[in-house]
Amino acid sequence: MTPSPPPPMLEFHDVTVAYGRRPVLWNVDLEIAEPCLFGVIGPNGAGKSTLLKAALGLVPVVGGSVRFSGQPLPRVRGRVGYVPQRETVDWDFPVSVMDVVLMGTYGRLGWLARPGRRERALAADCLDRVGLADFAERQIGRLSGGQQQRVFLARALAQEADIYMLDEPLAGVDVRSQERIFGVLAGLRDSGRLVMVVHHDLRTAVEWFDRVALIDMRLVAAGPTAEVLTADNLRRTYAGRIELLDELGRAVAERGRTP
Amino acid sequence: MIGPATLAAMVVPVGVPVGVLVVLAAYTPVAGLSYNTLVVLAGVAAVGFAAGLTGTLAVLRKRPLAGDAAAHATLLGVGGMFLATGRRDLPTLLAGALVAAVAALLVLVFLRRFTRTRDDAATAIVIGVSFGAGLAVVAGITARGLPGSGGLAQFLLGHTAALTARDAVVLTAASLAAVALLAAGFKEAVMVAFDADFARAAGWPVGLIDAAVVTLVAVMVVVGLPAAGAVLVTALVVIPPVAARQWTDRVGTMFLLAGTIGLAAAVAGVAASTLRPGLATGPLVVLSAAAICAVSVVFAPRRGWLGRRWREATLAGRWARGRLLEECLALADGGGGAFDSRLVRDRAGGDTAAARRRLRRAWDGLVWQAAVQPAAGGLWMLSSAGLAEARERHRRIAAWRAVLDAGLEGARDRFSLDLPPPDDPPATGAQSGSAPAAFPAGGGGP
Repeated sequence: MTPSPPPPMLEFHDVTVAYGRRPVLWNVDLEIAEPCLFGVIGPNGAGKSTLLKAALGLVPVVGGSVRFSGQPLPRVRGRVGYVPQRETVDWDFPVSVMDVVLMGTYGRLGWLARPGRRERALAADCLDRVGLADFAERQIGRLSGGQQQRVFLARALAQEADIYMLDEPLAGVDVRSQERIFGVLAGLRDSGRLVMVVHHDLRTAVEWFDRVALIDMRLVAAGPTAEVLTADNLRRTYAGRIELLDELGRAVAERGRTP
Repeated sequence: MIGPATLAAMVVPVGVPVGVLVVLAAYTPVAGLSYNTLVVLAGVAAVGFAAGLTGTLAVLRKRPLAGDAAAHATLLGVGGMFLATGRRDLPTLLAGALVAAVAALLVLVFLRRFTRTRDDAATAIVIGVSFGAGLAVVAGITARGLPGSGGLAQFLLGHTAALTARDAVVLTAASLAAVALLAAGFKEAVMVAFDADFARAAGWPVGLIDAAVVTLVAVMVVVGLPAAGAVLVTALVVIPPVAARQWTDRVGTMFLLAGTIGLAAAVAGVAASTLRPGLATGPLVVLSAAAICAVSVVFAPRRGWLGRRWREATLAGRWARGRLLEECLALADGGGGAFDSRLVRDRAGGDTAAARRRLRRAWDGLVWQAAVQPAAGGLWMLSSAGLAEARERHRRIAAWRAVLDAGLEGARDRFSLDLPPPDDPPATGAQSGSAPAAFPAGGGGP
């Protein structure tokens, strides 16, 4: 009964999440077959972050299933890296940048084992990739917003996962950090990883993502960026939010002009 | 502020202890409820009511343990006052307790504001240091065997049964004063508890209001000392508001309800302690409050554990049924075709054992209600009722998608997983088709 091609890297099947009877996500069906930079786009409160959290088992679902290369989450936890929103942690916590990045290696170390030279070298390498090699010993609170986000990214890199899920990694981040982060993400994609990013800015979305999904409680459309970000799809996603539509139209128009 | 719903909600917690009292009165001669018991009852009831009210403020301001810090400091105040005056009547000792309680809260505020110590750590420091000092002082007094020092240790655990009529009057008056203060500053206190920054920006003296609230809590803790003792009095301040919160979403109702629960717990505790000699009143009062709280947390209709679990299970069950019908319809080629029941369940999804169990149960429900019926070769097919339900569901999903795509004002507010009929769809003809009555699964909302 199983078809012969390999299962998609990531597959959402009829995922529904609700607070009471109010759905946050309603029957979301989404397949991502191959490694790519995948953007999850939609207005505020559309359920974008919830989609990631549902995939990672962080919120209870009413129903539906999520498969990673055909496997349910418990079998593949070590292969999925998650970068939460920056506000979710206490930045006053007494740890250094290096300590945080090392936590990315804990999953593979398992219980009680301590990180050794190999882990430290890996963490240092990850820090270097996000451009924070000089900040290893700094307390995490004494970093800019963009640098903090890059620490999170480095921690995820240290997990050496196959699938990365990032929740608004560019919110409140300076342009330099943005480019650095997208550069690292593109590198991950090129080395055969799937990178799924919750994102709210359409201009940068057009610029960076290979494929996108438009979400507003339900999935409006998904596929190659240029095919999905049409005026019609955007209208259905951002329905009623007129002032935004103008901006979207401009973004799409600009996209049309640049080859 | 007091609506009929509030009054109704107050009847329950009051009714229980009153019932207990009535039963007691029936079993013992009227003389059995001695003068002494009545005195204790009046004093403790007043304390319980006022503690519940002020405790609500502390809980809403998210500083429930400030009262605990004040309470543990009172022992030092009591001991110090006894050393200074050599008297051990209640008003004198309570005055000492109040000074110590307020001092402890000031230290707490200082730690919070001028060091970067977190709230709970600062509270723990104040509790530990002040209580340790209090124990040392009281132990010193007891060791020296000063005349009349015997009762001091009672402040640790309360000495409810030894209340005199004069004590009861003092407690009642202090409680009434606390309630009156609270009533006067209700608006301001609630505003600061809800959004201190807004209040500050609007020009309110938030520091002053906070100080008043904290002092009020300190007063209530001191007043509650004779009833429950330094260790247990926090329970009287914290437990009734937590219980009250389960039953209401209105702050005014919550205050009154917390007061009522505190009063009910006090009456029930005193009543229970008269059942046989040797039962300590203070702990029984606290245990009564805990019992009311436990019942509230489990059985409150909206926030209670039981109701929440039940609603989640019903919702998930209904969702599973809808998913099964969708897959049946798809596998039946949109009509009378036959299908494999296991394939339906597989396609309906479910990653967890619980999800698969739900799908199995939903399938059993479909079979039981004859929405599906056996077909040849061990396969199944939709009955006419099942087909109608599946088609109606299919139609409503499509109609809702159209409504959501059109982005009509308020469409998302009306939408729910029960798929209510999309009343004002855009002119897409989504309204045509069978009557809504053909959709039993969605029709019967709670």
